[in-house]
Amino acid sequence: MKKTVKPSDMAKPSDCLCHIEPGELSPLPAPYEDFNQTTVPSLNPEKVKNIETSLDDTVAIGIPKPANREEEEALVRRFLSGLKKLFEKENNWTFLQPLLLSMEHCAKCQTCSNACPVYEMSGGKDIYRPMFRAEVLRRIYNKYLKPGGKITAKLTGDIDLNWTTIARLAELSYRCTLCRRCATVCPVGVDNGLITHEIRKLFSQEMGISPKELHEKGTVQHLRVGSSTGMNPLAAKDSVEFIQEEMEEITGYKVEIPWDVEGADILLLHNAGEMLAWPENVGAFAIIFQAAGLSWTLSSETVGYDAVNYGLWYDDVQLARVAVRHADIARRLKVKKIVMGECGHAHKALTVIADRLLTGEINIPRESAMVTLEEIVMSGKLKFDPHRNNFPVTLHDPCNYVRLMGIVEPQRRILRKIAPGFREMTPHGVENYCCGGGSGFAIMSPYNFESWRNLVSSRKKFLQILNAFKDEHLETPKYVCAPCSNCKGAIRDIISYYHAEERSRLHYGGLVELIVNAMADMKKPIIQFGDEPSWKP
Amino acid sequence: MGFYTLSYLCILVFILATGYRVYRQWTLPIHLRWEIYPVQHETTDKLAHGGSYMEELNWWEKKPGGSLFNEMKYMVPEILFIRGLWKENRGLWWVSFPFHFGLYLMIVTFSLMVLHALVILWGGNTVLAGGAIGTLLNGLIVFMGWTGLVLGVIGSVGTFCRRIADPELREYSSFVDYFNILFILLFFLFAFFTCLFVDPLLEGAKGYVFGLLTGGGSLNGSVPGQSFFGGAAIVLASLLVAYIPLTHMSHMVMKYFFYHNVKWDDAPNLRGGSIEAAVLENLALKPTWNAKHVEADGRKSWLDIASSVPKEMK
Repeated sequence: MKKTVKPSDMAKPSDCLCHIEPGELSPLPAPYEDFNQTTVPSLNPEKVKNIETSLDDTVAIGIPKPANREEEEALVRRFLSGLKKLFEKENNWTFLQPLLLSMEHCAKCQTCSNACPVYEMSGGKDIYRPMFRAEVLRRIYNKYLKPGGKITAKLTGDIDLNWTTIARLAELSYRCTLCRRCATVCPVGVDNGLITHEIRKLFSQEMGISPKELHEKGTVQHLRVGSSTGMNPLAAKDSVEFIQEEMEEITGYKVEIPWDVEGADILLLHNAGEMLAWPENVGAFAIIFQAAGLSWTLSSETVGYDAVNYGLWYDDVQLARVAVRHADIARRLKVKKIVMGECGHAHKALTVIADRLLTGEINIPRESAMVTLEEIVMSGKLKFDPHRNNFPVTLHDPCNYVRLMGIVEPQRRILRKIAPGFREMTPHGVENYCCGGGSGFAIMSPYNFESWRNLVSSRKKFLQILNAFKDEHLETPKYVCAPCSNCKGAIRDIISYYHAEERSRLHYGGLVELIVNAMADMKKPIIQFGDEPSWKP
Repeated sequence: MGFYTLSYLCILVFILATGYRVYRQWTLPIHLRWEIYPVQHETTDKLAHGGSYMEELNWWEKKPGGSLFNEMKYMVPEILFIRGLWKENRGLWWVSFPFHFGLYLMIVTFSLMVLHALVILWGGNTVLAGGAIGTLLNGLIVFMGWTGLVLGVIGSVGTFCRRIADPELREYSSFVDYFNILFILLFFLFAFFTCLFVDPLLEGAKGYVFGLLTGGGSLNGSVPGQSFFGGAAIVLASLLVAYIPLTHMSHMVMKYFFYHNVKWDDAPNLRGGSIEAAVLENLALKPTWNAKHVEADGRKSWLDIASSVPKEMK
């Protein structure tokens, strides 16, 4: 019989509150049945002996264990101080209204659980229910911060507050990808994704607790060095110079990538990770923009050549700092608009979320590259031979600019024009499933977290991809179009983890690569399936 | 007069509590955008796929679109029939719909009774006697009242049983969750028995509502307070009216803010506009977050902090 875990259990000491046994994860179809007994590998006891690991089988943050009872109590006090600040307008005007609404009106109907891919794929583990962590926070708030809370807690839902509760809650806030699918189905409108986001903020902004990939190596490095990849402006320029040469070699098309052009129409913001991991994406953008005769530029200023804004996932202060820098760089370059490259969270951070942070001259118009690219592809400026993309293609919808920005059709209209083998996943568009790498997971791999991601949070996406291609021969090369850097990273990892390139000939890439691959001017294909070119020159 | 005093007090609590909740929402600072698509006031072509105005090239140069009709097309079935639950959690809908619709019909019945009383106060008792309007109004009151009570009893019994029987719901339910449903069930049951045994045409109920508007003036001699069931129904209904806005059940009203101020709040911040003015006010606020990297000292504003690079790592 399934063991039930209740919110109040978060306070009870145990080595592991939730464990996934072999065979409990949702089953995979052929030829992947051999993974059905695979579960998250055990943590190395030596490596984790000084950190908190009592939530489940993995660790995302790695919070150091307090040295003594006094330290524990001090941390509990800091937590409560941060929780109080979440409900103060001076500290949390950014999300106060959505937070209050979601904290006060949950009917506990569990409709959200059915919509959550992490909960579903985990085999229905209680702690992964979207409302579980929200309910823990709600109970703590009601009991410890509301007048008379210790008495009413017996009636409204009790929980004890100790260091175990807090350490588990911090970790649990990193078992949700913030895809907000749960919020779309809530009959009331409660947003458990938002509550998760607020928990992360509390830990970061009050207690300095966050995954180092997001903070030290993420936003802090971004603001200080210029990019979360660690590239300084010089290294970024070197990378792009290399990309220019590569592009000519790969496609036979000579491209010039402009830097710091004052007065250009467009400042193009790439996720700098593309320059290192997927240089062909940066090159493909340059080819398309150049061939279409656009006036555009990249920025070599610190922060200006990396579109990412990891603050979106865990810290409003860091979010604001990065967004202001991006916008100010655009102002100084005197561009007419900022175009966001294929990076979902960067889209949402700068276009939508930061919209109410940017005022006056730094409120520069922002546009999705999907829209810019659609205009180019549909305008007739470029000639296409769609048969060059004559292989099965499916489209992954990045949550951040599809469900959370409403950019749904431009990329589809492009694909319908240039990819005859395009087919949708089920479901798709605003009802899509997250890649499993959302909210920072794609770049987080401490301890065994990457295995947890591949096995649990990305599993639904893997099933969707397999299902989209279920009528194709295993030997036929297939292309998963994922126009978002983090999604691409997560999909790369599941393809590798499940040996899906070997078993199903799954390949992945962005949208611009497909566009360039179909351009009649290209002498050679930009897309390769292993060593095999996607079309014969 | 005791029943009337109780009802007046409870209505006062309802008005104050609901008013406070609404006032608080209206006076909260503007927050960062957090919309989620589909946004139902979008134009029909965008709504078909859940798209936004941001799908347009240079969207900021275009006149903002939007359709109140599309919003209503979504909201009316959502409010009346809980369409979202029908789509996403059908099993629960079968008990939740009659529960909610029963409550709605109680509000409709009460409103019709108020109308009935106002007509009499305006034109005297003879205005409604025997005429088509009087027959229609009286018929509607009886139909809505009975339908609402039957649905309410079925819905609240079903909701209660479902919460007990379904481990998914049971494990997360507190005493208050059960109490809320039982409270509503008790009201429906007593009101139902009142109609069944004492007041089948709701004449007594109409008399009581008339009395509410006239400070105790009775329309006829069969006000429900004269029977045990009727008295209990009045007490429970009055207490329920006061209780709902004090609990999460206020989502009946607060859903407006969920949708219009969060899920569908896609209004762009334009230079020189009212949103920009509100944002500037927010940026002047002084946070006190304690993590070192925030570098908040109670004197720096959000604007100062957002324009800086952190010196501290943690």
